[in-house]
Amino acid sequence: MSDVYILGAGIHPFGRFDKSYEAIGSEAAGDALRDAGVAWRDIQAAYLSRMYLPATSGARILRRLGGTDIPIVDIEAACASGGAALRQAVLAIRSGEVDLALVCGVEKMPRGFMDPSMIYAPWQIELGMSMNPSYWSMRAMRHMHEFGTTELQIAKVAYKNHRNSVHNPNAMYRKPFSIEEILASPMVCDPIRLLEICAPNDGAAAVVVASEKKARELGAREIRIAAVSHTIARYSADFRCPADSMSATANNPGPTEVTAHQAFAQAGMSPTDIDCFEVQDTDAFCEVEIYEELGLCPLGEAGRLIDEGATEIGGRFPVNMSGGLISKGEPVGASHLGQVVELVSQLRGQSGPRQVEGARVGLAHVLGAGGNCAVTILQA
Amino acid sequence: MANDGGRRSIREGLLIGPLDDLAQVHLCGSVCKTCGETSLGVSEICPNCGGVDLARKALADEGTLWTYTVVRHKPPGNYHGPDPFKPFGLGLVELPDGLRVMAPIEADIDSLAIGMPLRIRPYVLRTEDAGREVVAFAYRAA
Repeated sequence: MSDVYILGAGIHPFGRFDKSYEAIGSEAAGDALRDAGVAWRDIQAAYLSRMYLPATSGARILRRLGGTDIPIVDIEAACASGGAALRQAVLAIRSGEVDLALVCGVEKMPRGFMDPSMIYAPWQIELGMSMNPSYWSMRAMRHMHEFGTTELQIAKVAYKNHRNSVHNPNAMYRKPFSIEEILASPMVCDPIRLLEICAPNDGAAAVVVASEKKARELGAREIRIAAVSHTIARYSADFRCPADSMSATANNPGPTEVTAHQAFAQAGMSPTDIDCFEVQDTDAFCEVEIYEELGLCPLGEAGRLIDEGATEIGGRFPVNMSGGLISKGEPVGASHLGQVVELVSQLRGQSGPRQVEGARVGLAHVLGAGGNCAVTILQA
Repeated sequence: MANDGGRRSIREGLLIGPLDDLAQVHLCGSVCKTCGETSLGVSEICPNCGGVDLARKALADEGTLWTYTVVRHKPPGNYHGPDPFKPFGLGLVELPDGLRVMAPIEADIDSLAIGMPLRIRPYVLRTEDAGREVVAFAYRAA
């Protein structure tokens, strides 16, 4: 397979803005083009990931950069939308038809719990089964029961991510919280608390990707996409919204395990080859579970990994240097590309106080509704 | 067709038995004759193997709590619980049929514990404009 490179990255801060999604998205796309040193008229295909925006959002956003007749496609795969879009761009380049593509993720979401009618059937909503955090919480409760994982260990993940966010100008919340403050914050769905979950918000992130030929021509082979993988959960392999039941007998591996396995195979790497990780922390427990599914530790031992500080910046497996979704917020269509932008900054050594020393390889992971999961690995 | 007494199930194919006699109403499952998986509700295609030879069955009325949470805030959208809102238990109930069903748990939220025995309770959730009653389900301590 031919190599694909990231030439440039751009991000519009994640937060809440009195600004249209078209403005937020086109700013991030423009920044990515400038960072790549590439003109909009040279882009041959564009992919726009979003979940809560209207039809043809991609064209509405990117036309602001100038008239064009290239294919612009909107892509939706819940929380993995950005990974699905990046994968389409990589495939287009590998097909040989396209040498330069733009991938942009954008979202603008109302405050509070997400609109349940986007995900759940009316009967689930009537019975109160339509709150995303309830799914995460039930997984956490079971993990605590089976493996002895504690509320304190879950709180430590939120503590780490909030603390990392202080150094990220693109995060929505940039305030450190003590463990005591986190454990005293209101319970949303037991055992998950308010300071342990992410909030839907606005934001955008974009990258310019190129074929090896084009990257060579432009002298820009700094960051290679070593892998990009997207899967949905196998039968009953994942209890995530909007599931109404699960098998007690099927024993399929979870979507993170499957997607990461594919990505590691593409890259010819294993977890110990990764210098830094950005992973889905819709809630603090989600990150705990992902440590195990990515293979950073054996099943049931994520609590110990946290206690050892292994996932701190400076630890063996630095995770969510950006502050994660817990502090950035989750503009669904933009979240994965936001992670990719963070990895580009890390691999370029431009991350300031949140820099992982000498980072050469980074992994980004998202996971959400329907068990949609995407994993991208970048190599400098 | 079973006598529905002018009632309907909150979700088509979710319940089995005469809806005018709630004591005889059970959750409905579909057993795949190809792979053996049992799934919730009436299915024409097995969600595991894609097999099309499925048999309907009444699922067991009793199970145990496999995991749970307490919903502390009023769920968004058209939630039909008590007004004013009261925090409630929500869990996955493991049935001997080989599946776990998500359901509200009608028990004191402080008494919820993984492994507790539960029994289904079909009930009338609300009456539609046309006068038809909508039957839903929950679990309570067995």
